[in-house]
Amino acid sequence: MTSKELMHRSEVAVSVELETPDMTLNIGPQHPSTHGVLRLIAKVDGERITEVEPVIGYMHRGYEKLSEVRTYLQITALVNRIDWVSGFANEVPFILGVEKLMGVEAPERAQWIRLILSELFRISSHLVFMSSYPLELGATTPLMYVLREREHILELIEGVTGGRFHPNFNRVGGIKPNYGGGKQTKTQSMDLPAGFFKATLKAMDSIDQICDDIDTLVTGNELIRARTVDVGVIPADKAIEYGMSGPNLRASGVAYDLRKVENYLPYDQLDFDVISRPGGDCYDRYIVRLLEIRESAKIVRQAIDMIPVGPLQAKVPRVLKVPSGQVYSRAENPKGEFGYYIVSEGGKMPYRLKIRSTSFSNLTILPWILKGQLIPDLVAIMGSLDFVLGDVDR
Amino acid sequence: MSDQPDTAVAEEADPLAEYAAGITERLGADGFSVEFGTVRVFVDRDKWVETINDARKELPFFSWLSAIDWSKETEVGEGVADPDDLVERFEVMCRLSSVTNADGAIFFATLPKDDATIGSLTATIGGAEWHEREAHEMFGIMFEGNDNLIPLYLPDAFIGNPLLKSFPLIAREVKPWPGDVDVEGLPEPEEVLAAEEATP
Repeated sequence: MTSKELMHRSEVAVSVELETPDMTLNIGPQHPSTHGVLRLIAKVDGERITEVEPVIGYMHRGYEKLSEVRTYLQITALVNRIDWVSGFANEVPFILGVEKLMGVEAPERAQWIRLILSELFRISSHLVFMSSYPLELGATTPLMYVLREREHILELIEGVTGGRFHPNFNRVGGIKPNYGGGKQTKTQSMDLPAGFFKATLKAMDSIDQICDDIDTLVTGNELIRARTVDVGVIPADKAIEYGMSGPNLRASGVAYDLRKVENYLPYDQLDFDVISRPGGDCYDRYIVRLLEIRESAKIVRQAIDMIPVGPLQAKVPRVLKVPSGQVYSRAENPKGEFGYYIVSEGGKMPYRLKIRSTSFSNLTILPWILKGQLIPDLVAIMGSLDFVLGDVDR
Repeated sequence: MSDQPDTAVAEEADPLAEYAAGITERLGADGFSVEFGTVRVFVDRDKWVETINDARKELPFFSWLSAIDWSKETEVGEGVADPDDLVERFEVMCRLSSVTNADGAIFFATLPKDDATIGSLTATIGGAEWHEREAHEMFGIMFEGNDNLIPLYLPDAFIGNPLLKSFPLIAREVKPWPGDVDVEGLPEPEEVLAAEEATP
């Protein structure tokens, strides 16, 4: 008997011997890999997951109900907190929707500032992924390096908006004027803190540098590759059926980016690529995000070159009454399509606000994708989906 | 459907209106509306599942599914603009979109309040399950064919459907909302305009 045959026989013997009965394994709600409070009830057969049932709602705050008793201005403070890693990006589609209903358009400079801040939040959100994902796979070093760089981005955001995570910076028809920014004239608007552009360009250089570092530390790492390549493959048709969007969809080979197709903010004047990869596995989802950081840095540099001078706020009434109408407004959040369906009945508050949050839809695929996977891969797959529980539970 | 918006809101030249008219005709839907760049297609609730499945051939991306509760009386927030003309009903809405361009439409089906039942999309759209569970617990809408309509967000023992207009916001009952000051304290638009005109 050759050694190969022997091995085969021994494996058969072992598998017969170790036949395991179905067991129910509870994961969460407090578990480091669940990014908050997500609970999974998994039925496992040995190391294999046969069925999984996610239990969500531990962070449900009822934003859709609360929005019905808040004025439009107060809602921007709420929606900041849906996906707290990218607060500003949540505000943008809501404000754009209200502006559409009211028939006002923000001045050009305000739109560019919105664009720059959206991209800074995209970089910040992706950097959180870049630090936490290797950690979940067992690599502790990248965390510190990456979060250090993210701090530069947060400082820039804080300089402009006054808040690190919840800027609440958008106003209907413009953005909040910067206190202490000086007097605003027609030719010169002292809206951004002194030295903001210079500091941002410097930060973008360090972002490129940290991307190189991540490449060296993580991308080529054999262990990372072993844990992620061909793990958790999501084919394009399944991703579309489950409403996955953003980097998760683009990693499945669908180059769909709302910044390119949806006509909002001056993205059409910028030169950037939509990153997509054909594989649909955890590794591709990681690579797409890494490359998107570089693209965002590219966008920010161009935007700083092109930003015009001008006013920040269009003329809107002091008491906002939004005319009757229904609008769906969406934008490319760092995690994917983020949208609001606003039903206005002509009052100061919306009659109904449906929040299409990204992570919720991205997570609906969990029961399908986790079926038949190994328990250690569960952490790798969940981490690669890059969700925030506040965004799931709303 | 008398209470639905005029189907001929947009002009002929508008490409969005042409698109909306086209998709409505292709699917054999009841009507459409285009406002603020949002395409709405109205579907008979008995043809809901069939129409959505047909629509997915050109708009494959399942974006979301939810509902609106149209009520004359509301416990919280502001009511509808014209309660006398309102037909009390639910509207179930589902958005599908393309994954190559900006095309997309929101499909609407009207359900009477006393028979809030509609077919489930879960047989063909896996992603619809959570959305239907959410609509079920928030509005009490039944989705026939989805046998897993257990609460998604709320605790098992929770009674009521929070997003119904008849459902009170308990926090408001217990304590007045401090933000009310901002809402009520501001002058009416006419006063503001008068003050702005008065200042040089």
